[in-house]
Amino acid sequence: MIDLRIADWRAWAPGLESAEAWQAWANAPWAPAEQGEQPDCSFLPAMQRRRLSRMARIALHVAWPLCGDDEQLPLVFASRHGETTRTYAILGDVADRQPLSPTQFGLSVHNAIAGQWSILRGQRGESTAIAGEADTFEHAMLEAATLIDQGAPAVIVVMTEERPPEAYADWIDDVPFTYAVALRVGASRPDAGAASHWQLQLSGRTTQADHTDWPFALDFVRALHRPAASLMHTWKTRQWIWQRNP
Amino acid sequence: MNDLQRDIAQLIIDTLSLEDIEVSDITPNMPLFGEGLGLDSIDALELALALQKRFDIQIASDSRDARQHFANVASLASFVEAQRAACAS
Repeated sequence: MIDLRIADWRAWAPGLESAEAWQAWANAPWAPAEQGEQPDCSFLPAMQRRRLSRMARIALHVAWPLCGDDEQLPLVFASRHGETTRTYAILGDVADRQPLSPTQFGLSVHNAIAGQWSILRGQRGESTAIAGEADTFEHAMLEAATLIDQGAPAVIVVMTEERPPEAYADWIDDVPFTYAVALRVGASRPDAGAASHWQLQLSGRTTQADHTDWPFALDFVRALHRPAASLMHTWKTRQWIWQRNP
Repeated sequence: MNDLQRDIAQLIIDTLSLEDIEVSDITPNMPLFGEGLGLDSIDALELALALQKRFDIQIASDSRDARQHFANVASLASFVEAQRAACAS
């Protein structure tokens, strides 16, 4: 059993940016249409923004306000599929026997966004980049719990997926739209609102996966809007049970 | 700036996603790296690739003169012209 204190959170999806928009989405969720929308990340000078991919902008946008400039906090970056748009573009250049862009190639690793966070925020501590299966979110939260157990006052967790290029349609069926969720797990910032307390439990089981209507990180966002909630999320032999404590 | 210099300045802006800079902000003798435009070593690699594609020239990666060629837009334009002449002959 793991205790998790969610001190604060932010989420982004096309057309869903404000707390009010997420409240409305939580009440009656829908899949927003998208045409490459991305946050402007105007908190960064243009020269620092220019190498940020769409996913990087979205991830930084949600994580940015959760960490104070005076804090050093570990980061857990989680994405099951990573930057499929970039990967596909690079593979296209390989197939066409074109030289690869050094910038694109250099950033085509799963921990690139964690590295950009570290540089842009001056964060010198641990960072972890996770690509799990359909329960990537739970693995990210487990990682956060272990970091807190090792003494971190709080951990920033970012879970993000980008709608993949059409070529991946036969393989990736769990990203109905691009999204990111950032959570501050552990101690709150001084000016923060109320935290919520959760217990996460893993029990072994061998059944088919439960079908979830939305990516689980977004189901969790819905649950954050309810005073009491319990969620069950099964993938292969792993059954995760989430319980919100009063 | 002459046409080639302007082309190169635009290529730098497009290739390196310098979204808040325009061609008119770049002068022929403005340093591209460090001081001046503030580009870095990854930009140099990216720019070399873009110049090769755009102007159909070869840039040896171990060229000792690379630092001088990449100093500013004027030196890049001279370099591109020299390479084009060399490739054409």
